[in-house]
Amino acid sequence: MKLSVKLNLSPLRLVAALLFATGFAAAQAEALPKVIRIGVASPAVGDNIYTTGSIGIAHHKHLIEDEFAKDGVTVEWYFYKGAGPAVNEALSNKQLDFAFQGDLPSIIGRASGLKTRYLFPTDSRQNLYVAVPPDSTIQSVKDLAGKRVALSKGTNAQLPTNRLLDANGLTERDVKIVNLENATAQQALATRDIDGVFGGFEYLKFRNKGQARIVFSSAQDPRFSRRSGFLVTEEFLKEYPQATVRVAKGILRAARWASDEANRDQVFELWSKMGNPADVYREDFLGFPLRVRLNPLLDPFILQRYKEAVADSFKYKLTRKQFDAEQWIYPTVLNTALKELELENYWTPTDSSGKPTSVKTLASR
Amino acid sequence: MTVATTLNNQRTASGRNLFALLRAVPWTKTRRGLTIPLLLLFSWWAVYHFGWTKSQLFVPPEKVWDTAKKLYETGYLGTSLYASLQRDIIGFVIGTSIGLLVGTTLGLSRFFENILGPTFHALKQVSLLAWIPLISLWFGLGDAAKVAFLSLAAFFPVVLNTFEGIRSVPKEFVEVARVFDYSRWQLIRRIVIPSALPSIITGIYLALLYSWIATLGAEYLLTSGKGIGNLMTDGREHFWMDQVILGVIIVGLVGFALNVIAGFFERRVLAWRGGTTARFE
Amino acid sequence: MSSFPTLVADLASDDSLERAAARRKRGQRIGEFVAALHSALKRFALAWIFPLAVLGLWWLAAERGWVAEQILPNPTVVASTFHELWDSGDILNNLGISLLRVLYGFVAGALIGLALGISIGLSPVAKDYLYPLFRVFAQVPSLGWLPLLMMVVGIEESLKIILIAKAVAVPITINTYQGIQSVPTRFIEVARVYGFNRWQLLRKVVLPSALPPIWNGIRYGMTHAWLALVAVELLASSEGLGFMIVYGRQLFQLDVVIAAVIVVGAVGYTLDKVLALIEARLLHWRRQSF
Repeated sequence: MKLSVKLNLSPLRLVAALLFATGFAAAQAEALPKVIRIGVASPAVGDNIYTTGSIGIAHHKHLIEDEFAKDGVTVEWYFYKGAGPAVNEALSNKQLDFAFQGDLPSIIGRASGLKTRYLFPTDSRQNLYVAVPPDSTIQSVKDLAGKRVALSKGTNAQLPTNRLLDANGLTERDVKIVNLENATAQQALATRDIDGVFGGFEYLKFRNKGQARIVFSSAQDPRFSRRSGFLVTEEFLKEYPQATVRVAKGILRAARWASDEANRDQVFELWSKMGNPADVYREDFLGFPLRVRLNPLLDPFILQRYKEAVADSFKYKLTRKQFDAEQWIYPTVLNTALKELELENYWTPTDSSGKPTSVKTLASR
Repeated sequence: MTVATTLNNQRTASGRNLFALLRAVPWTKTRRGLTIPLLLLFSWWAVYHFGWTKSQLFVPPEKVWDTAKKLYETGYLGTSLYASLQRDIIGFVIGTSIGLLVGTTLGLSRFFENILGPTFHALKQVSLLAWIPLISLWFGLGDAAKVAFLSLAAFFPVVLNTFEGIRSVPKEFVEVARVFDYSRWQLIRRIVIPSALPSIITGIYLALLYSWIATLGAEYLLTSGKGIGNLMTDGREHFWMDQVILGVIIVGLVGFALNVIAGFFERRVLAWRGGTTARFE
Repeated sequence: MSSFPTLVADLASDDSLERAAARRKRGQRIGEFVAALHSALKRFALAWIFPLAVLGLWWLAAERGWVAEQILPNPTVVASTFHELWDSGDILNNLGISLLRVLYGFVAGALIGLALGISIGLSPVAKDYLYPLFRVFAQVPSLGWLPLLMMVVGIEESLKIILIAKAVAVPITINTYQGIQSVPTRFIEVARVYGFNRWQLLRKVVLPSALPPIWNGIRYGMTHAWLALVAVELLASSEGLGFMIVYGRQLFQLDVVIAAVIVVGAVGYTLDKVLALIEARLLHWRRQSF
C-alpha cells in the first residue's frame, strides 16, 4: 500500500521539484539578506585587517561587497584567532552564514551536527612544517619522540600531524603534544619552552631570521599537506541560493586574479601585509603554479582528500561519526558561479593523485 | 593597642630608643614604603641601561611609558579600556540583579532554599573559568558570551552573601517585628533588608571585583574583539613586553579604582545604619 | 529543704521513677532522632528535585531534538563519555596532574603567605617596608599577571605553580596580618603577667587567637588556587582537567567538556567539604569555650 502511494506521488514530486529548481525559482526574484556574515578561521592582523588566501584578496579588494554594492547588503567579516574550532563555535550559535575553514575543523563541525555545506576549496595544497630551535638536536620527525612539540589541536594541522607521526611509527602519546594556538606556539618556540612545533609557512619566517630550523615540510611529501575550503550554512543556502552564488562569485574573482602568474608578486605582496614577508610565500608556493594551489574545482583530487580526511578524523578519534563527503559537498553553487563568470575552463581539474586530467568535476545537483 | 605595637614597645623598652625616635618622624612610613619599589625600579632601569641582559623580554621602564603614550594617542588604549569596562559593568549589573533576586528568594523561603540551595552550592564550586568553553559554545565568542560569563561571575557572590545576610537576621528582631504586628512586606523592608544590608553590600563588592577578574578571563579565552585582556594577549604574542606591562598596570589601576568606588558607596549606603544604632544606644 | 546528698539518695531510691524518666528520655531521644532523620531525608529529597528536573528537561530536549546536539549533547552521551574517560584513565590521570599542581602551588603560597603575614603583623618595620608593595602587587589579580608570567617563565610547570602560589599567598597574607592585628590586647597583657617571652607569646597567644582568620585565609586560598589552576590550564597546558576542557572545546566535543566540568565542580566541592571538616576539628576547642 505504502509503496503504491509513494509510486503515485513521486512523479508529481519530481515535476514540482523540477519546476521549482528550473523556472519557478529563477523567475521569482529572491529576497536578499540584510547582512552577510563571513567567518574566517584566521586572526586579523593590524588595523586594516589582512589575511591570506583568495579570501584575503576578496576581503582586501572588497570583491564580495562589490557584488552587493547596489543592493545595500552589508558584508560583515569575523576573524578568529581560535582558528577553525572558534569558527565552529560561531557557526553553532548561528552567528555566521559563511565560513572559511581548514579541512579538519569543517569535518569536525559537520560530524558533530553543524548544518553546513561545503562549497569549494580555497587552497588545495597547504603545507605542514615541523620547526625546531636552530641549535636543536632534532633532525627528523622520528627524533620528536619524547619531545615537547606544539600543535593547535582541532585545526587543519592536526590531521597531517597524525598522519606524519603515524608514517614515522609514532603516536601523539610518544611525542608530548602541547596544545598551543598558533601565536603562542611561535612565542614558545622562541623562548625554547617547546622542542618543536607542527605549523604552517610562518615558520619559514623564523628560519629566515635564524630563530628556527625546518626539519620537515610537506612540500617534500604532499601526502601530509592540508587544505581549506569555503562553506555555507544550510539555512542560508536554502533561503538565499542566488546570494550564495554571488558571494561565491566574489571569491572566485579573487581566486581568478590570484591564479594569474602575472600577478604573482602583487599577490604575495598583499598577503605579506599579514606579517609574513613575501619571500615566505614565494618559498611556500615553490613548485606550484598559483592556479594549482588556488584551484577551486571540486575535482577528484579534492573529493579524494576530503574522503580521506573524514575517514582519518574518525580513525584518529577526532570525530565520532563518519559521513559521506560527497553528499556534504554542494557543487551547484560553484558550477553556477563559474558559468556566470565564464571561468568554467580556466582551472584544470586534477585526478586523485593531483595530476592534471580531463576528468569531470562534480556535477550540480 | 595591637600586638605589633605591644611587641615593639617591648623592644624599645629594651633600650633601642633610636628606633622610636626615627619612628616618630612622620615621613618614615612613606620612606620605608617606597624603598623596595624604588630599588626595584632602579634595578630594572639599570639592568637595561648597563646592558646586563640581551633578553628581548627586557624593556626599559621609559619604553612602557612611551607605549602608553603611543597607544593613548592612537586611541587603541581608550577603545580597549572602554570595551572592557563597558562589558564589565553590563555583566556586573545583570549578574548582581539576578543574584539579588535569587539570594533574597533563597533567604526568605525555606522551600526555595531546600529546592535550589544544594544545586547552587554545588554549582558555585565549579571553578569559574571552566564555564567559558560551555558559554562559548552556547553564546559564541562575541560580547553576548562575555557578558553572560561576567554575569555568572557576579551572580555567585551576590546570591551567597544576600542569602547569608538574610539568614543571619537576629531572631529577636523578627520577634520584635511580630510584636509590632508587621506585615510581611514591612518585615522585609524594615527588618530584613536593613540588617542584611552589610552582607549584601559585601556580596556586591565581591561581585564587582570578580566581574573585573572575569573580564580578563573572558577576553583571554573568548578571543575576539577588543579589551585590556586582548591588549595583553596581543602584546604577549608579539613579544611586546612593554604592552604587557602596561596591561598589568592598567588592570591594577582599574581594580584599585573599583575598590575605591565600591568602598565609597559602601560607606555611603551604610552611613545611616551607624546613625540608627547610635540612637538605640 | 533536704541537703544535696539526701536529695540524691531520695532520687536514687525511687527506682521506678528514674527508670520511667530514662525511658521517657530515651523515647524522646529516639523521637528527636527520627524527626531529625526525617527532616534530613526530606531535605535530601528536596535537594534532588531541581537537578533531576533540569536533567529530565535536558534529556527531553536532547531526545526530542529541541536543541542541536552540538549545543547540548544528550545526557546519556555525556554519561557514556564520562564512563569511557574514566575507564581509559583519562579523567584520573588529568585529575592527578591537576591536584599535584594545586598541592605544590598551595603549599608554596601558604608558606609565603604565612611568613609574610606574620612578619608584617608582628613588626611595624617590616610592615612599613613590605605592605605597600604587597598591596600594589595584590591589586592585580592572578589572571592579570598571567600574560606577563607566561613571557617571563614560559608555559612550563613553574608557570602553573607560581600562579597558584600567588593566588594562595594573597588571601593568606591579608588574613594572617589582620588576624594578628586583632588579637585582643588583654590577652597579651595576661601573657606579660605570666612573663612569656616573644616566642611563647607568638605560639601560645598570638597564633591561637589569630587562627580563625588565618584559617579563613587558607580556605580562600584553596578556592583561589582551584580557580587559578583551571585558568592556567585552560590557557597553557598539555595535561590536566583544564586541558581536557580545552581539548573537548577544540574538537567540538561538548560531552567531554561537560564531563570535565563536572569533575572540576566535584573536586571543588570535595575540597570545600574537606576544609570545612578540618575546620570543625581544628577550631573545635574554640567552639566549646562558648
